[in-house]
Amino acid sequence: MINRRLLAASAVFLLALLLPAFISGYGIRILNLALISAIAVIGLNFAFGYAGLITLAQAGFVGCGAYITAILSTTLGLSPWLSIPAAMVGAGVIAVVIGLPMLRLKGHYLALATLGFNVSFVIVATNWKSLMGGTDGISGIPALALPGWSLGTDHRYYYVVWAALAVATWCAWRIRNSHIGLAMIAVRDDEIATGAASVGVTRIKVQAFGLSAVYAGLAGALFAHMTNFVAPDDFALGHSIIYLAMLIIGGEGSILGAIAGAVIVTFMPELMRDLGTAYLIVFGGLMLLILIFLPKGLLSLTGIVARRLKALSR
Amino acid sequence: MSQQFIQLVVSGLAVGAVYALVGLAFIMVNEATGVVNFATGQMVAIGCFLSVSTGIQMGLPLGPAYALALVAMALFGIVFYAVVFRPLQDRPVVTVIIGTVMIGIVIQNSALMTWGSVPFRPRSPFGRQVVDVFGAAISAHALFVIAVAFLMIGLLYGFIYRTAIGARMRAVAQDRDAARLMGISVDRMFVLTWVIAGLLTGAAGILVGPMWFADVNMGDPIALKAFAAIIIGGFSSVPGAIVGGILVGLAEMLGAAYISSAYKDGLVFLVMILFLLVRPQGIFGERIGQRA
Repeated sequence: MINRRLLAASAVFLLALLLPAFISGYGIRILNLALISAIAVIGLNFAFGYAGLITLAQAGFVGCGAYITAILSTTLGLSPWLSIPAAMVGAGVIAVVIGLPMLRLKGHYLALATLGFNVSFVIVATNWKSLMGGTDGISGIPALALPGWSLGTDHRYYYVVWAALAVATWCAWRIRNSHIGLAMIAVRDDEIATGAASVGVTRIKVQAFGLSAVYAGLAGALFAHMTNFVAPDDFALGHSIIYLAMLIIGGEGSILGAIAGAVIVTFMPELMRDLGTAYLIVFGGLMLLILIFLPKGLLSLTGIVARRLKALSR
Repeated sequence: MSQQFIQLVVSGLAVGAVYALVGLAFIMVNEATGVVNFATGQMVAIGCFLSVSTGIQMGLPLGPAYALALVAMALFGIVFYAVVFRPLQDRPVVTVIIGTVMIGIVIQNSALMTWGSVPFRPRSPFGRQVVDVFGAAISAHALFVIAVAFLMIGLLYGFIYRTAIGARMRAVAQDRDAARLMGISVDRMFVLTWVIAGLLTGAAGILVGPMWFADVNMGDPIALKAFAAIIIGGFSSVPGAIVGGILVGLAEMLGAAYISSAYKDGLVFLVMILFLLVRPQGIFGERIGQRA
């Protein structure tokens, strides 16, 4: 079962390499955004899907990554390639520092504390004009380039994002099946029993939180190099909620679900463009219906359909 | 005391009283039904715009206009109960959080389509009247807000702790199953809770309108401050919501004037996070040990 799934996932990934040949300029930009979101949502899956931490700060960490990249590669003139790992490390360190005290909280207290972090991040980014540019943000972030070959166009950048997502997915899958991933799931399922089995519950939570921020940092850095511009609005609380919605829509606790959710939710506005201003009403209502009727996410539909088919063929 | 200081304190109290009302709506729902309602801010915005409809668009005198808006908010509470609460009841916390956030998005954009994106300036029953308090010129509306908010809180307190229905509501909040076994109609208490939440947020919206503008995006900033207020005060405590709300209102006004107007909101959230870390039970602690 696992192997068949892996095979199917690899096939989809490889087929996705052909997509730029068929999709026009605007579509590929949206696709790039979807894949970048997918990286952030895979990260969120560590904290929320595995370790069960309700965090509303993912957009804040994406913002940390994006701003670190932006500052390093504009003001300090660092190579764009080096600014990406720096953003990942930076976001991870920030998450560990705020996570150590904050992760003692549970349930909606943790949700509110992380919400406070995300709101504070936007306030700081909006007002610290000398470093973070205020509401104008930071522009002129250089695009990535290989020697003699720019990766500035959306079609070429797609391969960078694709490769990053492939590596991120593979790493996430390895972590999921390592003792760290299992410990995270154990913490979610029964914190007290896990602690009694002498697993450091706090350490595991901080690891999950830090890991989710490292992924967020990567997503933020890729976003900054694609748009060449960062501003506080892109990392507001609403985006944290969208990331969480992506994970739940796709199917929490599943890496493929995280990717599917990110792609579906990113493309939803494009599919519903004819609705105009009513779009967000339909979007919110649709999300609510999925939450109510498909609590395990859209990916669980495949299982339901498969079972139905089996029952019919019998 | 300087005149400016008195003005700031009074407006801080008025804003704080509004946060206290919103915080109470949040707490009432959370205590009685166990639902964390992230659409509370949008309910405030709807309350404000309903008073715009009745007071400005229909041109009613303010008394009937406010009454009609409050009745509509009570109905809104019942609709919210039926459409949102019932399906999300007993789901995991995160499903409820995302679900109510999504409903908030639906409400906010429905309001945008109904009332448009241009803010309204609702008038106050006292117009631009100014009252002299200790030699400082204070807007009469601010005093009106403080008086009405505390009247409502007093009524709510009396209702919960001095009436038979209030006792039933408390019983449901303490132990739903035991309450049901005692013959209390739990569902009816839930409906009542949502009606009270509608009235509290509606009143908050009506009161805040003339102080700021009626803007369809007004919900989230108010709800965030109300969250901070109840964390600081103590999550399940009625006096906590009042004290927390007033502290946040004062911190906002005094902080903007004397520390930094750009970082006034950051200050509030910093205090909130510090409280979560150092004293998670807030000023007026709660017994449940689920938080830390």
